[in-house]
Amino acid sequence: MSTDSNYAHPDALVTTSWMADHLKDPGIRIIESNEDILLYDMGHVPGAVHIDWQRDLQDHTIRDYIQPEAFADLCSRNGITPETTCIFYGDKSNWWSCYALWVFRLFGHEKVKIMDGGRDKWIEEGRPLTREVPHYEKTDYPAPSMRRDAEIRAFYDDALAQSRGNLPLIDVRSPGEFRGLVTHMPEYPQEGVLRGGHIPGAYGIPWKQAVNNDATFKSAEELRKIYQTDLGLKPDDQIIAYCRIGERSSHTWFVLNYLLGFDKVRNYDGSWTEWGNRVGAPIEKSL
Amino acid sequence: MSYPPKLSAIIELFTVLPDAEKRETLIAYADQAKSQEPRDGETFDLEDVRKDEECTDTVAIYLRLDERGGAHFRISLGPQVQTLTRAMSSILCKGLEGVSPAEILEIPADFVPKIVGAELVRLRSQTVYYLLTRIKSVSKVWLQRQRSATGDINS
Repeated sequence: MSTDSNYAHPDALVTTSWMADHLKDPGIRIIESNEDILLYDMGHVPGAVHIDWQRDLQDHTIRDYIQPEAFADLCSRNGITPETTCIFYGDKSNWWSCYALWVFRLFGHEKVKIMDGGRDKWIEEGRPLTREVPHYEKTDYPAPSMRRDAEIRAFYDDALAQSRGNLPLIDVRSPGEFRGLVTHMPEYPQEGVLRGGHIPGAYGIPWKQAVNNDATFKSAEELRKIYQTDLGLKPDDQIIAYCRIGERSSHTWFVLNYLLGFDKVRNYDGSWTEWGNRVGAPIEKSL
Repeated sequence: MSYPPKLSAIIELFTVLPDAEKRETLIAYADQAKSQEPRDGETFDLEDVRKDEECTDTVAIYLRLDERGGAHFRISLGPQVQTLTRAMSSILCKGLEGVSPAEILEIPADFVPKIVGAELVRLRSQTVYYLLTRIKSVSKVWLQRQRSATGDINS
């Protein structure tokens, strides 16, 4: 099922070929999550449902995620039970599928996986796409008792404490954003940040270092070199990852947590669009 | 200013469509984006092929003027361009067919949310506006060249 058995949790990944052979397995739900909001409608993996990071996972009035009742409703209408294995995939090297997976983990959904290489690899290999939207029988997903914010999510105050305590903060944005030269991703429009730079003391390790050209994750050995040998992180370190709005850092969170086995990693989803606009937030530049 | 007739008809169609059908219609336009690319043997009066720093992929605009001074656009888009932008390229090629470059410069961008709808316009979907900007830019350059050629530098 996985591409590298040396990952800490190799069963957190499925390959595209495994996926192709298990499209109709009972007990799984294939979930597409993209940046391009219409991409699912243009064609998707047969049987896949669409979960949109903004429409489905975020509260529409408060900058926060949906509440447990709304999550339960989302799962129910997509035919997901607490026992369903949710396999996420999407565009942009799986940024948004990792983000959706992370939100599912926020609500305690245990059985989650990523299709390695995402949508692009599936298409590149000539695998089938359909425009048929599947309809699954509604389930009765119980509302989770709480969101696990304290375990895998960091807020501004947590990131500030991390910075002041010289604990590991990983800025996964591009080098230009980290250095404060630009306030947007390369090849992306401005997203309304007043200042450029990074959280004082953060390491600049772009998310992209963790993937190959075909969007698959690098091997366990390569990932260990990046994060452990070169950066000096240890599996029991308390780590906070951030980017601009939390999607690229979800990708790194997945790598550290599932592929390398670091179990104290949190994603700061407020990220730079909060920090770079926040009155009084200290900023470091490396021009 | 009122919109050119063909563009106006498209806007009116989208205005009355419920969200689900609006989405389906956008997908249909996105499907047609390939057919708006330059065809073998076609020649153009102006070509503007580039990838701006804040864009995901290359956007190429090709302008041909007919004998009555009406503009005809072809647009080719790189593979990473978003679906919404692909739809808008088809809409603009059809909606601006035969409109003069001077008229194109006067078209307000406020029709974009009427077509796309509030749900689909996101921060990272701003290239739907960018396409109109690029089309206006090409129209402006063509007009400036025409004026230079005729010595009308004060226009």
